[in-house]
Amino acid sequence: MPYIEFKNVNKIYEMGEIKINALNDTNFQIEKGELVVIVGPSGAGKTTALNILGGMDTATSGRVIVDGKEVTKLKNKELIGYRRNDIGFVFQFYNLVQNLTARENVELATQICKKSLNPERVLEQVGLKDRMNNFPSQLSGGEQQRVAIARAIAKNPKLLLCDEPTGALDYKTGKQILKLLQDTARKENMTVLIITHNGALAPMADKVIHFKNGTAEKIEINENPKPVEEIEW
Amino acid sequence: MKKALMKDSVKEIKNTYKRFLSILLMAFLGVGFFAGIRATSPDMVDTIDKYYDSQNIYDIQVISTLGLTEDDLNEISKIENVDEIIGTYETDGKLEIDNTEQIIKVMCIEDINKPKLLEGKLPENSEECVVEPNFLTQNNKKIGDTIDVEIENTENNDGEEVEYLANKEMKIVGTVRSPLYISKDRGSSSLGSGKVDYYIYINKDNINAKDIYTNIYVKVKGSNKYETSSDEYKELVSDTKSKIEDIKDEREIARQEELIDTATSKLEEAETEFNDKKKEAEEEIANAEAEIEDGKKKIEDGEAQITENEKKANEEFASAEKQIEDAKTEISKNEETLNEQEQQANEQFKALEEQKNGLQSNLETVNSSLNTANETYNGILEALKDPNLDQGTLESLLGQKTACEQQIASLEATKNSLVSGITKIENGITSAKQEIENGKAQIEAAKKELEEKESTFQDTKSSTLAQIQDAKDELEASRIDLENGEQELNEQKIEVQKQLDDAEAELIDARDEITKIEKPTWYVLDREQNSGYASFIQDTESIENIGQVFPIVFFLVAVLISLTSMTRMVEEQRVQIGTLKALGYNKIQIASKYVLYASLASIIGGILGMCVGFVLIPKIIWMMYSMMYEIGDISLSFNWTVGAIGLYLIFICIVGATIYAVVRELRHTPAILMRPKAPKIGKRVLLERIPFIWKRLSFSRKVTVRNIFRYKKRFLMTIIGIMGCTALILTGFGLRDSISRIMPDQYEHVFNYDMQISLKSGLEENQIEELKSNLKQKDEITNTVETYMTSLTAIKNGVEEDVQVIVPKEKDSLEGIINLVDIETKEKVTLNDSEICLTDKAAELLGVKIGDTIILQDSDGNEKEVTISNVVENYVYHYVYMSKDLYESLYSQDYESNVLLVQDSDLTEEQEDSLAEELMGYNEISSVSLISTAIRTMDETMESLNYVVVVLIVSAGLLAFVVLYNLSNVNISERIRELATIKVLGFYDREVYDYVTRETILLTLIGIVLGLVAGFFLNYYIIGTCEINMLRFNKTIEPLSYVYATLITIAFTLIVNFVTYFALKKIDMIESLKSVE
Repeated sequence: MPYIEFKNVNKIYEMGEIKINALNDTNFQIEKGELVVIVGPSGAGKTTALNILGGMDTATSGRVIVDGKEVTKLKNKELIGYRRNDIGFVFQFYNLVQNLTARENVELATQICKKSLNPERVLEQVGLKDRMNNFPSQLSGGEQQRVAIARAIAKNPKLLLCDEPTGALDYKTGKQILKLLQDTARKENMTVLIITHNGALAPMADKVIHFKNGTAEKIEINENPKPVEEIEW
Repeated sequence: MKKALMKDSVKEIKNTYKRFLSILLMAFLGVGFFAGIRATSPDMVDTIDKYYDSQNIYDIQVISTLGLTEDDLNEISKIENVDEIIGTYETDGKLEIDNTEQIIKVMCIEDINKPKLLEGKLPENSEECVVEPNFLTQNNKKIGDTIDVEIENTENNDGEEVEYLANKEMKIVGTVRSPLYISKDRGSSSLGSGKVDYYIYINKDNINAKDIYTNIYVKVKGSNKYETSSDEYKELVSDTKSKIEDIKDEREIARQEELIDTATSKLEEAETEFNDKKKEAEEEIANAEAEIEDGKKKIEDGEAQITENEKKANEEFASAEKQIEDAKTEISKNEETLNEQEQQANEQFKALEEQKNGLQSNLETVNSSLNTANETYNGILEALKDPNLDQGTLESLLGQKTACEQQIASLEATKNSLVSGITKIENGITSAKQEIENGKAQIEAAKKELEEKESTFQDTKSSTLAQIQDAKDELEASRIDLENGEQELNEQKIEVQKQLDDAEAELIDARDEITKIEKPTWYVLDREQNSGYASFIQDTESIENIGQVFPIVFFLVAVLISLTSMTRMVEEQRVQIGTLKALGYNKIQIASKYVLYASLASIIGGILGMCVGFVLIPKIIWMMYSMMYEIGDISLSFNWTVGAIGLYLIFICIVGATIYAVVRELRHTPAILMRPKAPKIGKRVLLERIPFIWKRLSFSRKVTVRNIFRYKKRFLMTIIGIMGCTALILTGFGLRDSISRIMPDQYEHVFNYDMQISLKSGLEENQIEELKSNLKQKDEITNTVETYMTSLTAIKNGVEEDVQVIVPKEKDSLEGIINLVDIETKEKVTLNDSEICLTDKAAELLGVKIGDTIILQDSDGNEKEVTISNVVENYVYHYVYMSKDLYESLYSQDYESNVLLVQDSDLTEEQEDSLAEELMGYNEISSVSLISTAIRTMDETMESLNYVVVVLIVSAGLLAFVVLYNLSNVNISERIRELATIKVLGFYDREVYDYVTRETILLTLIGIVLGLVAGFFLNYYIIGTCEINMLRFNKTIEPLSYVYATLITIAFTLIVNFVTYFALKKIDMIESLKSVE
């Protein structure tokens, strides 16, 4: 049984009289510890799928199963609990709380979950040992995204979901962030999903899911994923 | 404005209706409150003005201590500007319903001061009357019932007593509201309990004593044109008033003279009558005396006559007695002679008896011889009879017989001669004896005759003597009668003399009275002296004062709210602004959208606020006051000026804040504007530098602390909003606390007596002492203190205040009855002999302190300067306390107490009432006023204060709600990414809520604390503003009120937080995280 399973998932947004089929009978499976890259053009339904998987959105129909738990059947409170304990999110714009220092931003996450990691160690792990007490505004974009990743990792989640984590970063910094994510997946044996519109990143993943018109059109499996350092774009 | 922009603006309102509504609501509250409160006072004045105009209420009232005459009326009516004038009759009467005595004010229906008919009809004749509605409900009466009114007789022009009413029994034909009594107080009376209970109106025809008016009412020409209590009105009336005051003296003197004339002619009449009566009485006495003299003489004459008659009778008796004596002597002489003759006769009888006896013995011998002879003879005869007899014998016998016969015959002859001799003797004796007997009988007869004569005489004598005695007795009786008569006459003489003396004394008194007839005092009063009107006007002024302060809070908050909301709105639309700017729109065009937005919100809100405020607030305030006043419905008006000012102010506040916010953004170049605004930078707060505290804070608390300092504007606003809310609520409760404590403060802490007994004037000291000892004997009364009280005017630097002067008879006797406590030191104060104690409010109004001097002026204008030794605590009215010595030396006048302050032994209401009633029965007591009654009336008024509190709480609540809701909206919208993030992180709803509201709660708590402080000062200010001159409000707020204010504010906060909870729950994570703003 796969670790994560999307079964005939549909998502229909109703905007007044117009119905938008964001996900259209999507099916895919992900194994535990896999680094998955989801690629596709804008509006292909990548983010919608990620949001549903992350418990931030609900599917209109179909089933989503994570580690044997049927996410699509969770009630609101259970869904929050699911986010709380099982999911780590990394956003394009970091979404750090400006009023909190790097460490505090991590603490914000760790203080609420059961099996959290030590915030300082996690920050050290992402290479921010010395910037721990800085406010987000005092950090560069890459550093902020590291904080965001640290915040997600520190929760020790089952899934690490990253929506365009390098979208707001320059090439070099982006690469460093991707490296961090890849390393994390490898070292911690964490299941990581990265959304990107950059197809060039596909080789770094264990599995690449191609989205088009609201459905996982093609799923490739890389037998030998490349380290990020070796990928150029 | 360009069309596209216009469209955009309208859409903007649609999209951000919450924000629009909150600004609108703020404008609504601000203008509504401002306009409502500001309009209330004019509305109230307008209401009373209309009411007064429609009932044609007097402008000037004249009353006099000795009544007013037709001449007075005529003189006043001659004064220029006097438009209408009437003389009318108003007096107090008694009425008994269910055994309780009610004091009523009886007035006549007139063209001025028309009562307003509520039900039924007005009295059309002397048998009808109308009453106030309360009278019916409280006494269980209805229209159609009759009442029996008792009014003391009054004097007519000739100084004679006449009945006041023509008809005492009247039928109730309707109910009215009197415009003269707009407050519930019906005034005081010299009757009964000293308090008027109800008023009634009667037809003027029912007044019997029509000579003297009690009141003259004057309408000044043109006065209805001006609003009552306006400056123009006051000026107009005071002009005429002073003209009336000009003729005051003259009329007072005229009235005095008139009274003197009437009294003098009455006195003269009385004197003549007295003299006549005196003469008559004296004549009567003289006649009676003459009669008695006559009687005396008659008695004397009678006595003389009786004496004479007695003497004559006695003489006659003496001669008669002598005659009787003589006769007696003669009779006894004759008796003696007769006795002598009898004796002689008796001797002769003896001799004759002897002779007789000799003859008798001879006779006996003869008789025996005869017997023998007879026997012999009988023997012979016997023997002869024997047939055997021999002759011889016979013959011898015969012979013997013959011899015997012869012998017998001789013997018989002798015997006869002897018997005749005896008979002769015997006859001689018998005749002699007969002769003596006859003599004796003669004497006896004479004796008898004499005795009869004597007895007749004796009878005559005794009857004569009885007659004399009778005459004497009769005379004695008439003498006693005469003596009694004399005594009676003497008594009557004394009686008559006494009566005459009394009458004369009365005349002297009357003459004295005439000299004592004082000049009456006229009181020329205007509406201000109508206590209900005055307090009503004062209340309108208080409301006006409150209207100056309260709306400020709302305006301030309105500014803050619109500032934050509009800033937020502008910030949200930075990009759009930048784009427009880049497209070439100028600043004004861009700003116009926001200005339009704010203008629409403020104008719509303001106009709605006006509409509601102009109706609701005056109505609510009126409702509160209608518990104290009886005027009818408030006449509401749309007060354009006030409305315009309110609208203008709110417009300035809101649009000003908007322009400020927009202009601040517009300074930036389009490029900067189009870039997302850098989020507020996180900063370390001061508290972090104190690790001691910081380390102890939990993570979430640290966040809270940071956030609070991050959004300073919001921090400030929340605090100000909550502060305002708490302060308003606290003020509401504080007001109630202060006012409701006036009575207990005054009548439990300062004045500790239960009754004030006014004494009749001119009592002697011993009468008062006796009264006091009578009172002391009652179980219900525990303490009485004698004082002298009078009203004076205290003056300092042109400021005048009426004060009540209390002079205790004994310096220390006030202790426990009136507590004189120094306002500064809070220590007990004692009176000294050279200075006075003045109460605190009066001192404040006069601007004096310890050691200063003030002038005390009496009603005659005498001024005395006194020094203040202490300023003492007091809450109602103004008092000056001075010692008896100071009083006497100031006024060089003897002290004379006129009021007794009485403490009773914790009586119930009924007991007190009945005690008061009993006391009213004392001759020395003129009135009794109960402190409890005063407190009770006041307490009822206090009830209405709860409405003030409710109004304040509701408006404060609205304020708090608007502020908190707005802030919470701004807070959420500004921090939506942050909130979405933590939601994504898996914060439960409750945790998200805590994350946000923890700040609000903390700020609310700070706001409450500050609000309690601000409320204290606001309360202080408000109370200071609406404090009535005669009252001192206690400005301290009860601890419980602080608790209430806190709890109510917390309750409002919780309501808003509850709303926030759902707003937070609705936050869409995906939308919020999609892109950077």
